[in-house]
Parts: sequence; C-alpha cells; structure tokens
Amino acid sequence: MSDAAAIEVRGLKVHFANRSGAGAVRAVDGIDLTVARGAFHGIVGESGCGKTTLARTIVGLQKESEGTVLIGGRNRAEWLKSDRKSFSREVQFVFQDPLGSMSRRQSVYQTLEEPLQIHRFGSSVERRRRIAELLDLVALPETVLDRLPRSLSGGQRQRVSIARALALKPSILVCDEPLSALDVSIRAQIVNLFTSLQKQLGLTIVIVAHDLAIVREVCSDVTVMYLGRISEAGVTRPLFREPAHPYSQALLSAVPSPDPRIEAGRRRIILAGDPPSPSAPPPGCRFNTRCPVAIDVCRVEEPMLRSVPHGGVAACHLADSGRRPVI
Amino acid sequence: MSDAQPIYSIEDLVIDLYATTVSVRAVDGVSFNVRPGETVAVVGESGSGKTVMTLGPLGLLPEGVTVDMKGSARADGSELLSIGSRQLSDLRGRYFGVIFQDPMSALNPMLKIGPQLARQARRFAGLSHEAARKEAVSLLARSGIPDPEDRYNRYPHEMSGGMLQRAMIALALAARPRVLIADEPTTALDATVQAQILELIRQIQREDGIAVVLITHDIGVVASVADRVIVLYAGQVAEEGTAMDVLTRPVHPYTRGLLASVPDFRADERAATREIPGLPPNQIRLEPGCRFAERCELVEAGCRQHRPPLQTISASTSPHRVACPVVLKREGIAVHV
Amino acid sequence: MNISAIRDIKDWPWLVLLPVIGFVLIGIFAPAIMPYDPSAQDYSATLEGMSWNHWLGTDYLGRDVFSRIVGGARISLVAMVIVLVAALAIGVTIGSFAGYVGGRVELVLISIIDIALALPSLVIALALIGILGTGYWSMITALTLAWWANYARMSRAVVTAELQQPYIEAARVMGAGHLWIFVRHILPHVLALVVVYASADAGALVLAIATLSFLGLGVAPPTPEWGQMLVDGMSYIEEVPRLVVLPGLALTLVVVSFNLLGEAFALQKVPRPVRGATLRRRRRARAREEAERNAVETGTTSA
Repeated sequence: MSDAAAIEVRGLKVHFANRSGAGAVRAVDGIDLTVARGAFHGIVGESGCGKTTLARTIVGLQKESEGTVLIGGRNRAEWLKSDRKSFSREVQFVFQDPLGSMSRRQSVYQTLEEPLQIHRFGSSVERRRRIAELLDLVALPETVLDRLPRSLSGGQRQRVSIARALALKPSILVCDEPLSALDVSIRAQIVNLFTSLQKQLGLTIVIVAHDLAIVREVCSDVTVMYLGRISEAGVTRPLFREPAHPYSQALLSAVPSPDPRIEAGRRRIILAGDPPSPSAPPPGCRFNTRCPVAIDVCRVEEPMLRSVPHGGVAACHLADSGRRPVI
Repeated sequence: MSDAQPIYSIEDLVIDLYATTVSVRAVDGVSFNVRPGETVAVVGESGSGKTVMTLGPLGLLPEGVTVDMKGSARADGSELLSIGSRQLSDLRGRYFGVIFQDPMSALNPMLKIGPQLARQARRFAGLSHEAARKEAVSLLARSGIPDPEDRYNRYPHEMSGGMLQRAMIALALAARPRVLIADEPTTALDATVQAQILELIRQIQREDGIAVVLITHDIGVVASVADRVIVLYAGQVAEEGTAMDVLTRPVHPYTRGLLASVPDFRADERAATREIPGLPPNQIRLEPGCRFAERCELVEAGCRQHRPPLQTISASTSPHRVACPVVLKREGIAVHV
Repeated sequence: MNISAIRDIKDWPWLVLLPVIGFVLIGIFAPAIMPYDPSAQDYSATLEGMSWNHWLGTDYLGRDVFSRIVGGARISLVAMVIVLVAALAIGVTIGSFAGYVGGRVELVLISIIDIALALPSLVIALALIGILGTGYWSMITALTLAWWANYARMSRAVVTAELQQPYIEAARVMGAGHLWIFVRHILPHVLALVVVYASADAGALVLAIATLSFLGLGVAPPTPEWGQMLVDGMSYIEEVPRLVVLPGLALTLVVVSFNLLGEAFALQKVPRPVRGATLRRRRRARAREEAERNAVETGTTSA
C-alpha cells in the first residue's frame, strides 16, 4: 500500500443522462490521472470542463459510468460498498460553499463533533479534547464553538469545514474550489493554512480551482481540463512557464496581473466564443472550434496525450517532446 | 480629458442600513468624483460598503432594509438624494447604465432579448420603433454576440452565462448612458470569458467615451482596466489615486496588505503571499479613530482616537491620497496642502 | 445560546399565544372550572337567563351553559390533539419515507397522497364515517385519515429539498449511514415545518369536529360539545339567541387564535424594513453614537 499512488484514476467516464433525451452530458469523458502521496495537485479549467465532477467521483459522491478510481491501490467503488467508514477515514472532501456544507441548525461544536460521533470516537471528554486540537490546527479561537455557521465570517466557516474534514485524520484531502467563496485577503489566509497543514500532517491534497495565481503558488502538480478531458498536465511551474497546449496558453493569458505596469504592455489572447456543450463535443480535438492555430487534422482526429518540452504531457497535434505551438 | 467637470460626484456620503436585527453604518463619509471617459475602480472586500455606496444613491439597494442617506450625490444637475423616485428612475435609465454580477437580475426572463433592448432605446434614447430595432441588433453585435439577428429573437434562458453578460451590457448601453456602473461584472465568469468581457468594456469606453465605475474585489481586473482606484475599508476611503500610484506604490497599510495577499501571476519569483491577520470590523458600532487599527501593524495609540484625514501626497488632476498620517510620518512622505 | 436566538425569542409576538394558552388551560382544568355537571339536567331551571347561579344561563334541559362550554373546550381539545398527533405521525412517516427513498416507491406514495389531497378532508371524513359508523372514535379515525395527507406532502417536500443540500453530502463523506442522516439532519427540519403548520391547522380541526357533531356524526348527545350545542340551540334561536351565539363565539375565538398563531410563525421568516417607533429609536441611538464618536475624535485633537 505504501508504494501505491494516493489516487489513481483509470479511463474514467462520468456521463449524466439528459432529461430531454438529447444525448448524455459527458462531464468526464476518459481521464487517466495519478496523484502521488504527499503531492499538492491542482485541477484547473473553466466551468463545465468536468473538474468538479472528477473531484466528486474520486471521493465517491458521484458514481463513475466507466473506468476505476484507486485510492492507495484499493478500488474505491468496492471499498465504499464494503466499508464506508474506513474509507472516510482515508479520504475527506472540502466543499466549495462552507455554509451550505454545514447544517444551519448545528453549532460549530456539534458540526465538529459529528464525524467523531459517527465513527464512535472516544468519550465525550476525548471528543472535546480532539475538537480543541482541531481548532488549534486551523487557528480558530474556542469562542466560535457555540456559534451557528451563518454567524461566522466566510474565512471562519471555511476553517471550520477544513477542521471537520481533518477530524478523522484522513491522509487524502480533496477540495472543490475551497477559496472561491472567500474575500481576497481571506483567501491568502486559507491558502497559507492549506500549505501549512500539508507540511504538518503530510497530507495529499487535490484542489479544484479556477484561480490560477493561487494554483501556481501552492500546487506541486497541475492538470488542465477542457470539455471532460485532460488537455495538459505536468509540474506546475514549468507548465505555467511554457504551456504547450493552445488552450492552456489562452487560459493563462486571461489571468490579469495586479500590477498595471505589466498589464499595460501585456499581449492577451482573447479566445472567440464559448466552450461547446459537453453533451455534444466537437469531432477531433475538443478545442478545435476555438483554437487559433488549428489545422485540418485537429478537426478529424482526437489527439492523445504526449510528452512536451516542459516535461509534462499535452493533448495537441502540434506539440511533441521537442516543440510546442505558440499562439 | 481628466480635468473635465465631474459627471457624477459624491460628497460626504453616509449610508445607514437598518435591518430587522441590526443597524449598520455601511458607508461612513465617502467622497469621490467620476469624470467623463475615465474608469474608476472601487475596490474593497465584502462588507466594505463598495456596492452600497455605488448603488445606494441610485435607489438600487435590495428591499427589506431601511436606508438612510446623508451627504450629496450629484449627477446631471440633480441631487440624487432628494429628487423624487420617478425622476430618479428616469435618470437611472437615461444617465446611468448598470450591469450586475448576475445578468438575470437585469433581464426579463419572459421577454426576448432584442425587444428588451429596443424598448430601452426607444424610451431613453428617443428612437423610433424601426431605429430602435436596428440599434438593438447593432448593440448585440457590438457586445460581441455572434449572429445578432438570430439572438434578437432568443429568450434569456437560451443563452450561456457569458452571452447573457454581454446581453446585459448591451441593455445597459441601449439608453446611451453617460456613466456605466458595473458591480462585479466578471466575478461569476470563467477566466477566458472574463477576458472577453473586460476587453468589451475597454472597447466601449474607447469608442463612446463614457465613464465606468467598476466595483470589484479582483485586483487583477483593476490593474487591467482602471484609470483610478478608490480603496474602501469598512465604509471609508483608505486610499485613492491613479491605478499606477495605488497598485505599484501603495501607501496605506491596508492597501499594502491587500496587494500582498494577492499572488502575482506574472511576476517571476516573489516572496510568499502574506496575509492580513484578523477580520474587518462589523460596522454595527461606531468606533472612534481608524477602522483598520485593529489589524494594522503600524498601529499607535492615537490611531484609535483620531479619525485619519485623507491627505494628498502627490498633487495632480488625479491626486494620490492616503488616510494614514502614521505611515506618512514614518516614511517621511510629504503632504501637499 | 447565542445572542441572535435570544433576540428571536424576545421579538416573538407572545400576545398571539395568549388565547391559545387560555384554551389549552381551560381544556386541561375543565373539571375544576365547571360549576355544574355539564350533562346534569334540571327541569326546574330551563332556559334561564344569566345569573349568579348560572353565569351564562341554562339551556332547554336546564343544563348550565358555562359548564357546557368549558366541557366542550375539553372535548374539542382532546379530540384535536389525538387527531393531530396521529395525522402528524402517519403523514411524517409516509411523506419522509417517500421523499428519502425516491424512485418508484415515491411515485406510488405521491399518487396516494395526491388523491387524498384532491378530495376535501371533510368529504373524506364523511365517507369514512359512513363506513365506520358514527361515534367518538370513528370520528377520530375518520378525521385522522382525512388529515394526514397534507403533512405527508409537506414532509416529502422538506425531505426532498434537504436531500439536495450539500451538508447531506458532507455527512455522507464523513461516513454517516442513512438512519443517521435522517434522524440527525432531516427529521428536525421536517418537524420544524410540520409543527408550525399544525399550529394553524388546529383551528380548522376544532371546526371540523364541531361540524361533524353538528351533523350528528361526531360526539353523541349527552356529552357537551360545541357543535352539539349549536344544534340544540337552533330551535331556540329566536327566543334565546345566546344558546347559539355563545358556543359559536367560543368556536370562532379558538379558530381565529390558532390561525393567528400560524400566521405569526409564518411571518417570522419574512424580512421587513424597520419602521415606526423602532426605527426612530434606532436612529436616535445611531445619532447618539455618532456624537460620542465625534466628541472623542475632536476632543483629543484639541488636547
């Protein structure tokens, strides 16, 4: 178990039946992904690219249509079926909306106590001690314990929800846009909390995000998704420095800098149009309808992931280990 | 251009909100001007009063709270705080265009997109029926909506989020306003679509020369479109000046903290992101002195007693002004009188 | 307890609760309050007016009207409580089950609920009494079977809505089983809504009990009951209108006060702008605070 990757996703497809019957929504459409133990892995892409579905499928909140998810080498579907509780002690999930992910009737104390009660952790004294430890871990004062989630600030709520996820001492934490509901200055606090927790507890963290600046700041590895598939993946810094896939280039170019001197002289890539519907992806490369450098083969043949100069992989006909298209 | 008369000016604006359980001083003595053709970004975190300050004088705050406003807000020769609701609504349609974070709050879901635009153009820009239709189609085209003739007859639910945002911008422009107020226009959008919308706003500004007031918490957006920046903290102005001054030479400890907490995606190697400790004040009680004192690393005894005056440190048509005498004294920055 | 909860309790319109509490207390302590046996006939004192002996007079059999009204409160209260508790239990169980299990089971149960809702409850009750025969317990059974569907529908709606909430998923991720999720998270929400609705419904139920008795399908004659009293009084409505007016008044008061209670619950959730005296008080407090702040800020400047 120790040498198995923390998370391994093989040939994963998640399709949602469409009510009107017009073709299933292919939220995740054939993904292979390996997350090593101790990695801080970012998954980025635009809404509708399937990044949230991927994260939810990893923790079993969503059933896969095809393919498998292995957690520490163990098949997740079977694990969940046979022993839901021991699975939840291994993998935890942090939701995008901290307020919605907590019962509005439970105080912070009850919220933090709940996982411990479900897992029959110790006596009430021991639980109280564990809750105090958790507060310490996420730097919250004891005074929040009696309060209801809605009377907390956004940052405090997210701290509570992280503390709750850590209550069972999981080794893997999957987070779905944990920062997008927070204010800028508070985001920095939570980002720093994630990095310090990872170092302190040796966690493996998978984070779904759309704030690329933060991904660059904290993630060791990154996966870029487009329309249900991986368009590019690799080690964060080199990938962000010289992205091989035209989509990654456009996505990175869209991030504005807080420095107007850089903004004034910067060339931006403005893509035309919106992403196509995930229920009817275009033939060939999924990005070909918006790609400024698409050639004929892109409209016919779907590119496989291949090695590219930054050391990672990209799904682009125009890229290989020696070159990458530049738009 | 920059020395032109302001077309929208707010002076000593104080806004109290009375909800069922609490009274909040949302805006606490703010003044600012908007001149033709410039983009003013109002920056602050949630609860800083940026939205209340901008939408309050226009009578656009949600129902369910009692709003008390003091001070002055002048546009087009009228005092917005004292004119009747009918005149205000007329001024709002004709003089101000407003775009929101959620396009569905401005568009009528029961009506097709095109006719909504045409009605606006007829009512406020005084166009004939046929001219208004043409104008609506051209507005859709200008807003970057492909195949505008077809979209004219579409309902809002048939369009994607980015397209709706564009349709709402088209709607706001239909009355040919002088001031475009954009409340977090790109927050709900994806990065590549956000880039498109910002480009659209820049382009409209260049072509029509209208003023834009941009309410946002995204420093990157400010850096890419704003001429001037007003930084709000707990209902008061902490710092204001040109985007260049405020973002590259911030002086107020809050502005510095805020900027340091935003990772710079473009810069190559930097120090790790810093954070501002603590939380903004709740604004339920009026405390004397500087609102930022609780979280400030430069805090001195006097900070909790004196209200820090907004002092000019570089005089120009868009002066750089800072509400923190402590940092000015410490760093020997001269104050222009 | 946190501050906002205390404030909620303080702002609550306690006045609305008074008539309801009065009704419940009278119902509970009826035996102690009644000066006479409500069924005891006294042919020497029929149709007497109000006096110190008979506060509200007597009816055509010489029974004390005050005692009969108080006794009627007890009968109504007991029957109402039994029906409500039973209807709630059945409704919440069936509705929650339908909502939680979903799928075909839900479809079948919803159809049953919808059919039950499509017919007016009183019509169902009448039909059931036709099958069960008249009498106190058959009235209770009939009313329960006529009343549960509403609670079932509401429970199902709450369960379906709550199941969509992310915190249910959060509980799943923590390893919680279905029973845990239902009892700890969903049931409290169901009960909170259903009990509020029941408080308004109680009035309608008291009225239904009186109606059935009025039609001779509920409580049998010697027992004091308001509907029964109305029937008895009808023959004397010209000479002694009191005999109809008093039980009618009692009935109206109870129904109205329960409705007000339900209304007060419902209004709790709606945010309202502050107006009138509260607003003036809050504005004065604000002005005072501002003056204090100015004093501190300017006072230290001059020093």
